Amino acid sequence: MKYIDYKQLNPFQKFAYNFTEFFKKLPGRVAAFFKAIGRFFVKLFTGIGKGVANYVTRFIKGDFAVKLSYLIFGFGNFAKGQIIKGLLFLATEVAYIYFMITFGWPNLSKFNTLGTVETQLVDDGPFKKTVFGDNSMLILLYSVVTIAVTFVVLFIYITNTKSAYKLQQLKSEGKHIMTFKEETKDFLDGKFHVTMLSLPVTLIAIFTIMPLIFMILIAFTNYNKSHMPPGTLFTWVGFENFSQLVNVTTGGKRGVTFIELTQWTIIWAIFATFTNYILGMIVALMINKKGIKLKSLWRTLFVITIAVPQFVSLLLMNQMLQVNGAINILLSDITGQEVAIQFLNTNALMARITVIIINCWVGIPYTILSASGILMNIPADLYESARIDGAGPVKQFTKITLPYMLFVTAPSLITQFVGNINNFNVIYLLTGGGPSTERFYQAGYTDILVTWLFKLTMNQQDYDLAAAIGILVFIVCATLSLITFNMSKSMKDEEAFS
Amino acid sequence: MKKIIAGLLAVMMMATAFAGCGGQTSTGEGSSNGSSGEGSSTDTSLFGEEDNISLKVWGPDASINLLKKQCDAFVALYPEKKISIEVVAQGESDAATQLLNDASTAADVFGLPSDQINKLVNAKVIQEVAFADEVKANNDTNVVEAATIDDKIYAYPETADNGYYLVYDNSVVKSGDEAKLETILEDCKAAGKKFIMDAGNGFYSCMFVFTGGLKTDGLEEDGLTQKFTDYNEDDVVATMQAFSKLFHDYSSTFQSLEVSNIASGFSSGTCGAGIDGTWDVVANQTALGDKYGAAKLPTINVNGEDKQIVSMFGYKYVGVNAAAKFPRAAQILANYLTSEDCQLERAQELGWGPSNKAAAQSDFVKNNVTISAILAQAENSVAQADLADQFWDPMGNLGNQLIAEKTDPTNTDAMKQLLNETLTNIKDV
Amino acid sequence: MIKSYKARRIISNTIIYIVLAVLGIIWVSPLVYLVLHSFRAEGLATVPYLIPHSYSFDNYINLFVNTGTLNFPRWYLNTFVVACCACVISTLSVLMVSYAFSRLRFKSRKKFINVGMILGMFPGFMTMIAIYYLLKAMNLSQTLVALVICYSAGAGLGFQISKGFFDTIPRALDEAATVDGATRNQIFWKIILPMSKPIVVYTVLTSFIGPWTDFILCKLIMGDNRDNYTVAIGLQLMVSNEFKVNYFKQFMAGSVLVAVPITVLFLMMQKYYVEGVTAGGVKG
Repeated sequence: MKYIDYKQLNPFQKFAYNFTEFFKKLPGRVAAFFKAIGRFFVKLFTGIGKGVANYVTRFIKGDFAVKLSYLIFGFGNFAKGQIIKGLLFLATEVAYIYFMITFGWPNLSKFNTLGTVETQLVDDGPFKKTVFGDNSMLILLYSVVTIAVTFVVLFIYITNTKSAYKLQQLKSEGKHIMTFKEETKDFLDGKFHVTMLSLPVTLIAIFTIMPLIFMILIAFTNYNKSHMPPGTLFTWVGFENFSQLVNVTTGGKRGVTFIELTQWTIIWAIFATFTNYILGMIVALMINKKGIKLKSLWRTLFVITIAVPQFVSLLLMNQMLQVNGAINILLSDITGQEVAIQFLNTNALMARITVIIINCWVGIPYTILSASGILMNIPADLYESARIDGAGPVKQFTKITLPYMLFVTAPSLITQFVGNINNFNVIYLLTGGGPSTERFYQAGYTDILVTWLFKLTMNQQDYDLAAAIGILVFIVCATLSLITFNMSKSMKDEEAFS
Repeated sequence: MKKIIAGLLAVMMMATAFAGCGGQTSTGEGSSNGSSGEGSSTDTSLFGEEDNISLKVWGPDASINLLKKQCDAFVALYPEKKISIEVVAQGESDAATQLLNDASTAADVFGLPSDQINKLVNAKVIQEVAFADEVKANNDTNVVEAATIDDKIYAYPETADNGYYLVYDNSVVKSGDEAKLETILEDCKAAGKKFIMDAGNGFYSCMFVFTGGLKTDGLEEDGLTQKFTDYNEDDVVATMQAFSKLFHDYSSTFQSLEVSNIASGFSSGTCGAGIDGTWDVVANQTALGDKYGAAKLPTINVNGEDKQIVSMFGYKYVGVNAAAKFPRAAQILANYLTSEDCQLERAQELGWGPSNKAAAQSDFVKNNVTISAILAQAENSVAQADLADQFWDPMGNLGNQLIAEKTDPTNTDAMKQLLNETLTNIKDV
Repeated sequence: MIKSYKARRIISNTIIYIVLAVLGIIWVSPLVYLVLHSFRAEGLATVPYLIPHSYSFDNYINLFVNTGTLNFPRWYLNTFVVACCACVISTLSVLMVSYAFSRLRFKSRKKFINVGMILGMFPGFMTMIAIYYLLKAMNLSQTLVALVICYSAGAGLGFQISKGFFDTIPRALDEAATVDGATRNQIFWKIILPMSKPIVVYTVLTSFIGPWTDFILCKLIMGDNRDNYTVAIGLQLMVSNEFKVNYFKQFMAGSVLVAVPITVLFLMMQKYYVEGVTAGGVKG
């Protein structure tokens, strides 16, 4: 359809057109996503290649000061009068060398074996004394820290050579060399993004990225309850943990557990997402219907449940759903005879249904909140033209409201889906994973992958297996999210205002 | 007076300890110092070089005050040494997890239940007991046995009571009726009250197979696979059927609930009897007051024969952290805390059943209805030690299946299948 | 015709009122149950009826008086302090990151955005052990500072919603200000922030609530140091096997004390919260 044809459509048709186009393009976008990943790696390697080439060129073209700055950080800056900046570079180098000697190298050198010195018992009179050997876990963790620090210093080093070379150019062209004060000032304007990002990015690098790399590495070791530092060593095992999970024949119970829990996780995520979404939207529509009074009261009734911490409300729900809990008491009072339904403890199907229903109680208020806002934003002319076409309220809902909502919230729907795959609280607090079964390894019928992961880490110390599960969960979530994120309008429209 | 007795006792213990250890280690300052220190009530030579000692001790909340008192008494025994002891509340069930997470911030001396010993020994974070011969001589064999791996004892026995017993309202369950499960259920039904046990929890539900003669028998050499004693399948299945049938016959009386509901049920008058853990003794006593009744688990009628219910039974220990900064002082303190005196004090103040033979024979313990009930049940029990991680879930599931509405107690084949599947899955690592 | 239309509308509205009322009751009743039973005087953990027979303030008083090993007032104070500190750092982080990603143009901006999205998708529990040992290496284990760091360090990754909000502010504003000689620093503080009240409130609210509800990371970090517990793990402890029988009523009372301030705050800020989540959510 050409632009001119599109412009002539009425808003209603325009919308329908956009809506169908959106889904028509889906498969193409999925493919584009994987192509993008490929492109990313190509770019990465060419980028590295270019960087190395530039690094060499700068050295060749550089004067004596530039060349020396390849060995002594900041020398180029000293030579051109930027004393403070040069000192900062130099301080980095000195600090790094000190760091490597005292901390970095001792750990990094054991990285390939993760330690060899065993823990020993030494006689001490009538007593025994434990002399601990290498701690594989700390060796691995500190190695990751060392590698991370090295990367940062490498970045500073390259910046240092670039800076030295740039100063040489500026000087030869006779241009003004910025003083330290001027450069500092620039951080509030031209380089404001550096100022804004440095603190958060540092925090994220230390407390999210480094631990994450550590745990990804753990997935390739045998760090579990039979190999627990500081008492015993663990070491690299390659893909063994993954093959235990995905290969049913050799993985035994772990493999079965993984496959069945994955199925349930997906079923759970689908139901949890769509029940919340559809029911929440219906309630939101009812509240926002013209002529309904006390809108804010109704909304508050639902929203108030968001403010109660989930560990309180869900633990309470757990109590209420027991055989002697409030729900059974209520049912007994209503029916006049004793009702004792086992909601959570014995029947797998019953427990799963209960969990999904309770999740509605938890999740619907969130949908109501966001849906109310969106509903108010639907362009009135859409309804106008529909009414002219003779569409009744039902038709208006199915042809405008629903598609519009879907269209606008599709990206957030996927976010919610991913969120539900990782929805720890509802499952853990409500059922604790139960009812227990003999068929799974350390998991029950309502356990989803993350709650299993948690149990393996906290109760079983099976860190290796847990890390492998975490990586697999991540791969699923990341694929889903990146596809939708690249698809979502916001990525393309964010420049609309610029 | 008490202090002097305690002091004398400590000396006696140390003397015994040396008698044992002297033989094992031919050299070492410990044994030579030991002989010279004999007879003095404040023999500090055991500590060796250690001084300015600071120790952290973990105990469950209920015992904190008593534990502090006992630690103070311990410090007073050694006026020449500077000892400071920090007593921190930490539930026994979490102790092992915390120790595995980070042994260096964990307590030097800590209370732990029997089923965690294996884990800690594998991770090498628990120190072997130094006063082994003394421990063996003074404590119940089963308790010592459960802490022994490869002939080495890894923790000091503290109690022999970490199990469950029958608790009942004696205005509901008539005197004499507490001996049989059938009559208990009948009494509860007549009074319109509940009989509560946690049938979906492997700790309790294992009684359904243990009673039939199927018992655990340690682990295979891999340290992971569960072994079982020889058993007669027909007996086990018949017992399971008997339980299942009772629960179905009394379905409105029998409730499978977490054990904390028992005390709540007593206080609100809805519960007539229950199978509860020993940690809830105080709550149950308070809830029932004069109507409190306690007994060992009852019998169940299997094909005309009354069989004593066999339960899972654990013990509590005091362990020494392998990362302790003052290993000698920690061992001496752990030994002190599990001495006859301290155990008796705990029996008197907290109602904990002692593992020390002399303390168990004391008049107080013999006259205490709860502790005697628990110790009587210990006679008919399987030790909670050397259990596979895979033991609990399949057992819990077995319990859930027995009480499930759709289960037909008369279907022998289905029961047989359930039993075999459960065992296969426990063994499948 | 008109009459029947009106009649139909009345009928449909009545049905909607009834449905809303029923749903409202279902949603609120667990909370009412919680509040009622937190005042229950009789019984232990559970009672076989819905409405308590007698009421008293004992459960609340016990929380503040029986502070032996379960020191609720201390935990409450801890949580409040941690929540305030974490809230300030988190809010700043989120706003800074989302402003940079939304309004500033610099090299590898998109790469940063994508990496940020990817990082948010790993299950959080994976990294707990590593975080614990990192904090320990910094000599911070079992301290409240460690908690503040944990709750606010990753905050920057939650930039999507506020970035979505900033995206909706016309860029012409920035350009006009730049022409007038304002630096980007001044634009951020003097122009963008004052316009972003909903998203600021939204961020403050969510990051303030976080520490009140976490019961996992905090447990790992604090270990046996009960003095530094937060209310979430404190209350969690009260319903563990060791305490449940005697402390369940206190647990309910404590829960009410946690829920009330958050609820009040939430209702007061609801308007902004809705604006923030819709504006940011639709875009981001």
